[in-house]
Amino acid sequence: MDQPDPVIHQAVRLKIMAALKALPQGEAIEFVRLKALVGATEGNLGAHIGNLESAGYVDVEKDFVGKRPRTRIRLNKQGRRALEEYVTYLRDIIDTPIEGRTS
Amino acid sequence: MPLSPNEAADALRDISQTERRSAKAYGYHMMSPHLFLWGAIWLGEYGGFYLDPRRSWLFSALSLAGVAGSFLIAWWMKRGRADNYSWRYGATLVAAFFFVTAFFAIFHPTSDKQVGAFFPLLVALLYVLMGIWGNAFRMGVTGVVLGVITLTGYFYFPASFMLWMGLAGGGALMLGGLWMRSV
Repeated sequence: MDQPDPVIHQAVRLKIMAALKALPQGEAIEFVRLKALVGATEGNLGAHIGNLESAGYVDVEKDFVGKRPRTRIRLNKQGRRALEEYVTYLRDIIDTPIEGRTS
Repeated sequence: MPLSPNEAADALRDISQTERRSAKAYGYHMMSPHLFLWGAIWLGEYGGFYLDPRRSWLFSALSLAGVAGSFLIAWWMKRGRADNYSWRYGATLVAAFFFVTAFFAIFHPTSDKQVGAFFPLLVALLYVLMGIWGNAFRMGVTGVVLGVITLTGYFYFPASFMLWMGLAGGGALMLGGLWMRSV
């Protein structure tokens, strides 16, 4: 990877992906809990989750618990792979001497 | 524009910190309902025994209900998905059962109070160990509080120890569960 994935290469979206990756595979997290973990505002988080969903990295489920609406977000296989590739990209930058880089 | 090594290192640190925070919050989230359930069970067990010491069967009945409840909670929270740890829950229970049986066979506790203090101290130790090894501060604090409550009741309020453990011990577990839920 010569260039970083533009979808993940953004501070809030990177935190969202990292927070989701720490959960057991297939496990979802509620929007309010993710908001607390990432430290973003509701509108900001919603917009970034929309971007990640459009890129096919996360799945979003909306349902009701009693009368209360609930949004749950889950990292899918494609998202997990994308984050792993992004981490590899970051490690390569650190490990590769500056004169050895292609870009 | 490519990142500098420093920016890449910062990003990796951010990822690592967020992952750690998320994993810890997930652990607390999974533990919380168990603590709340067992707090309520202790309230029933110790409170019931204090009101009528002939009701010692309450301990066995409610403990069995608690074990079943814990399995149900674990199943429900994982929405029925099996994981690599599923068998460990049952194995832990079997190991604990044999340890307690062997302990009582050797030490022969002579009073209800001794038995009533043993289990909370065992639980307190487990929580403290989980706090130390799992880097779970809130679990550790809950364990320490539980241990202090148990010893305080045992040595300073022997006449109303069972009531003390029901209210203070059960209450501490429930408050610990709420505290973990708030992460």
